[in-house]
Amino acid sequence: MTLWRLEWLRMVRTPRALALGAVFVAVGLIEPVVTRYESTLFAHVGNGVRISAPPPTPADGLSGYVSEIGFVGLILVVILTASAFSFDARPGLATFLRTRISSTWQLVMPRFVACSAGATVAYVLGTIAAWFQIRSLLGSLPAAGLLAGMLCGTVYVTFAVAVTALAASIGRGTLATAGIAFGVLLALPILGTIDTIANWLPSALVNAPVDLVDGAQQLPHFLPALAVTVVASAAAVYAAAVRLRSREI
Amino acid sequence: MTTALLAGPHGPHHLPAGLLAALVPVLVLLLTLDAYCLISLARAPSVRYLPKLAWVFVILLVSAPTGALLYLFFGVDRTRAPGTPKPGARRGAWSPQPAPMRTAPAVTAARADDRMIVTTSGLTRDYGCTGLFEVDLAVPRGSVYGLVGLNGAGKTTLLSILSGMRRPDSGSVAVAAGRLQIAVCPDVPDFDGWLTAYEVVDLARSLVAPEAGSRAVRAAISTVGLAASADRRVGGFSRGMVQRLGLACALVGDPELLILDEPTSALDPAGRAELLGLVAAMRGRRTVIFSSHILADVQRVADEVGILRDGRLLYQGPTQELISTYLTPSWLVRLAGEARQVAAAMEAAGWATRVEPAGDDAIRVDAVTVEAGERGIPAVIAGCGARQVACEPVAADLESAFLALTGAGNSAAGVTA
Repeated sequence: MTLWRLEWLRMVRTPRALALGAVFVAVGLIEPVVTRYESTLFAHVGNGVRISAPPPTPADGLSGYVSEIGFVGLILVVILTASAFSFDARPGLATFLRTRISSTWQLVMPRFVACSAGATVAYVLGTIAAWFQIRSLLGSLPAAGLLAGMLCGTVYVTFAVAVTALAASIGRGTLATAGIAFGVLLALPILGTIDTIANWLPSALVNAPVDLVDGAQQLPHFLPALAVTVVASAAAVYAAAVRLRSREI
Repeated sequence: MTTALLAGPHGPHHLPAGLLAALVPVLVLLLTLDAYCLISLARAPSVRYLPKLAWVFVILLVSAPTGALLYLFFGVDRTRAPGTPKPGARRGAWSPQPAPMRTAPAVTAARADDRMIVTTSGLTRDYGCTGLFEVDLAVPRGSVYGLVGLNGAGKTTLLSILSGMRRPDSGSVAVAAGRLQIAVCPDVPDFDGWLTAYEVVDLARSLVAPEAGSRAVRAAISTVGLAASADRRVGGFSRGMVQRLGLACALVGDPELLILDEPTSALDPAGRAELLGLVAAMRGRRTVIFSSHILADVQRVADEVGILRDGRLLYQGPTQELISTYLTPSWLVRLAGEARQVAAAMEAAGWATRVEPAGDDAIRVDAVTVEAGERGIPAVIAGCGARQVACEPVAADLESAFLALTGAGNSAAGVTA
């Protein structure tokens, strides 16, 4: 039994892996359907209200998935990551772990990698499910744009995990950690309203999949945000390890 | 395009067949999730919060996938691996009660010498009204060192600093043992409930003694009497079993210094006796520092004792020396009549410092020294021609010495014999 295997068991023996997969795939399967039949559904349940809208495009289907995952999926990823990192909230567990490690990296890295991998796999599975439904209902998506969008999405998800890890070094409990992480992740889009830095912020990656499949942008447009996000993720994980090392129990 | 009927508030409507086809994967996912949950529910030895039948309704009737996720997060009992019996059920050799701890053979050729394994100098950690102040600790290598004190005296703070979990404001700590040669067992150990006892101890082994094999894990688990529960998930353990498991984690690396914070606090009398026997048997092989409210435990196994009060180390040294130094030799003498006459004779004797009645036929006698009392009491009784029923030393224990030293008196509510 190693700390890496501990994280694997945390994924599979608790409902983490199942919940991540089920939620991301369910959203991927449902959102394109909702987008495709939105007007039809409204006609049936809207008490006679008629909504006129242009026919949905494949990019609209992906947009529904991305916006829903940016909310529900992010909540799930942050809470699951926060619970994995809040070991200091339990003094008995913290004593067991901290008195037996030679470096806090031993605690931080397996948790970060496991949470990132779980979230990334779930995101990819959800995107594949969405692609399957979009292809059936709305038309095909450009493969290159979709892959590039998945790259941006997974980098952002990893960033969310890193931010949560850093938040865990500030707050101890799961709720406090999740609250701090959400605060940071929600603040970024607000900062993004400043045009000069908008393209450099990690939040620019949230809608990147949509922009990349409808041809509004190409991958090089997101390279600054990708670079900043990767560096910020690494810095957040490093800062988390340093802060956790100096924390007293 | 084929259509399907949908009964809406305005009569039947036709839905595109494409919509239904698109919903098939969603339905497959939801049905698969529900099926998984129902199978998991059927196989589970027990579930949490609701009866199994109620969870069936939650899974099937609460809007999908919410019902299934509610069951997965809240209903699944992860304290037991699938296939393990319910508490109280007997199967094979499984026993709900932990087996007695196996006392390791005492090492006669003690390694301890004059060198100290732990020394602190002017150790201070100020929390305002509480904390530690100018503590100079000296723990001999190979000894069993008991740390006693009232609630809030600073025992846990001191042990936390020694184990590196907290930092002192000032002063220094010197520990003559490698970091991985120090094992700490907190008063309330805590582990992930979905791990088995074996996995928990194996994790401890992999961190502190990766070269040791699974035999070391099994040995540590057996030593603390949890062999029959090794493959059970620890979420279902009682507090006493968790405390034993914490001790197994501490022992698996064969540490040079073992720090135990209130190790007997959750154990029943039999478990307490076993643990104390285990600790006593470690004397000479490894150094044990343990804190306890239960002074009888400390007196039984500790050859060195440190007494803390309000964050200050009042006494440090051999346990017996503390008792003999800080206690007035005192006896309770029971007589068959003539108690008043004997009391008067003892008061007249020069060696008695205090004589007072303790009931109709008993007197309590304090002497200047143990020897004077032991010689004088029989002589006076014989001189009076009185008949002695019993003569027993009073309060010659650590608790009395502790109370005498700290002056805690009746306020020593946190200390029990």
